[in-house]
Amino acid sequence: MRTNLKVVDNSGAKRVMCIQALKGKKGARLGDTIIASVKEAQPRGKVKKGEVVYCVVVRAAMPRGRCDGSEIKFDDNAVVLVNKQGEPIGTRVFGPVPHELRKKKLVKILTLAEHIA
Amino acid sequence: MLGVARLLTSRLNHTFALSTSRLSLLLGSSSSSRGLSSGGVRSKVEAVLNLEEVKKVLSDLRAEDIQIIPVKSQCEWTDFMVIATGTSTWHVRNIAQALIHKVKQKQKGAERLLLPSVQGHEGGNWVVIDSGNVIVHALDEKARSYYKLESLWLTEMAPKGPNQDLEKALVKTRRKNNSKKSVEGVS
Repeated sequence: MRTNLKVVDNSGAKRVMCIQALKGKKGARLGDTIIASVKEAQPRGKVKKGEVVYCVVVRAAMPRGRCDGSEIKFDDNAVVLVNKQGEPIGTRVFGPVPHELRKKKLVKILTLAEHIA
Repeated sequence: MLGVARLLTSRLNHTFALSTSRLSLLLGSSSSSRGLSSGGVRSKVEAVLNLEEVKKVLSDLRAEDIQIIPVKSQCEWTDFMVIATGTSTWHVRNIAQALIHKVKQKQKGAERLLLPSVQGHEGGNWVVIDSGNVIVHALDEKARSYYKLESLWLTEMAPKGPNQDLEKALVKTRRKNNSKKSVEGVS
């Protein structure tokens, strides 16, 4: 709640603020979907400021354990805008995205990504 | 103990758990039930769907504009990307169903089915079928022109050589000692 996240696709939004984590009592982690409100947007984009959108967390500063014992953590918290059915609104995703998205059935975001960590 | 391992793998069966179920069967009981990150482990078993089978199924269904892109050089998590267009949402869903049907036929008689995961089936706009080495995208016309997947994967990305800045940063360099002061040797 109230976490400011960076938007890393070309859907037009720049910063969003989380208003609800859809799964988990303790908050959303890497790969989870959240509901967020757009706080800052580019002038000609697909979303406008003040819109309520669904997003998927693709980078989180909190370390996430992998099953081989290693942990992965990023320097920033980033998010990709998604519609209610799970289709990404933007057409490209910038920056690295983790492998965890594949297990979470988010292969669409993986195909649009430019680099996979 | 082996019985416990079987129980756990059957639970994971309907999600994408290629490497998990195979490897835990091989290693027996001691390997944990936690899902193996499919990006890290390249399973040596044959892909659930072969490229030729996918081509055949797609051409049987008269999917338009089939493109097969080998992305082995570009990305580590898959070998081939197949992109096909369907005329309508029903056609797109049909392509997904036909591929699943083909997988079921191929695995008839095995005691455990290993199905590829299907994403986007309800929307009908863009269905992704993830089967290990081969990933099949079934889109409709509008989605294809919107996402432009070919332009993303066909253009050769710059080969990711070793990150030179990182290497330079990790090497310890001594500062050059330009001082005129003579160094007293320890004798």
